Amino acid sequence: MDNLIIEATKYTPEISFDCNKNLLKIKGKSYPENTSVFYKPVFDWLRKYLGQDEKKDVTVNIDLIYFNSSSSKILMDFCDILDEAASDGKPISVNWIYEEDDEDAFEFGEEFQEDLEFVTFNLVRKAVE
Amino acid sequence: MLKDLYDFKKDLAKRGIFFCLSGPISQNLVAEIATTLEQKMNLEETSKSTVLRVFSTVVENAQNIMRYSDEKEDELSLGIIAVGYEDSHYFVLCGNNIEKRKVEIIRSKLSELHNKDNKSLKKLYRERLRQGPPKESKGGAGLGFIEMAKKASKPIEFDFKKLNEEFSFFSMKTVI
Repeated sequence: MDNLIIEATKYTPEISFDCNKNLLKIKGKSYPENTSVFYKPVFDWLRKYLGQDEKKDVTVNIDLIYFNSSSSKILMDFCDILDEAASDGKPISVNWIYEEDDEDAFEFGEEFQEDLEFVTFNLVRKAVE
Repeated sequence: MLKDLYDFKKDLAKRGIFFCLSGPISQNLVAEIATTLEQKMNLEETSKSTVLRVFSTVVENAQNIMRYSDEKEDELSLGIIAVGYEDSHYFVLCGNNIEKRKVEIIRSKLSELHNKDNKSLKKLYRERLRQGPPKESKGGAGLGFIEMAKKASKPIEFDFKKLNEEFSFFSMKTVI
């Protein structure tokens, strides 16, 4: 299958899903007018990718500076799909990357961490650029 | 009119308002406004958390206008949004026309949040996130008011002004 690359805009994040490196990155800001329209190809790709019968380690980097409330719903669905795949034995690590003095992003990460059972969920603090 | 413009500007400044837009709001405009305000607050050495909370409140409010304002010109939604600073806090004002039947729906949503502390708001947010969007959400997740209440340092103030038999003007103020 092909990699999925979507360039960032002011209100949508960069999507860089590499099926050869098994590295999935979401980076930037997410507040599209209609989140389900923007994320549809992302979910389609993810389902197809996770449906492959491989047991290689998958790394997912979620590096969002800002996301609106409808994107938080999308992120939850996204993580749920990963968790389900992990429950079937796929080794998946999610790195929730937040800026050092952004308490809200840290708290969001903590909540996702509590909700997910099977993926390895890491809270990764990074210095402000 | 021309001579009043300076007075109008001065009046906004007197109220602490440093940004104001009244008219049609589009997604591109939301992005430009939010990004410009972010730049301005960064220049003022505002803390990262505060910048992001104001950014978030502006986006949620503006997208509410886009989704729910009942003053439309074709595809465009109209409303008013203002951002200011008073008593050491940023605030965001937002207003738009709504159909009369929506007054009680919005009032009950915002009243429900009024007396909740931050912990209860977070709990409610998680519950709603799990429940999924309500029928009338129009591409949103039905979480915007809770999101804003979480970011706010005090309860969201709101008001409804009857315009005629059909419409009311809904306004709210979020203090960060």
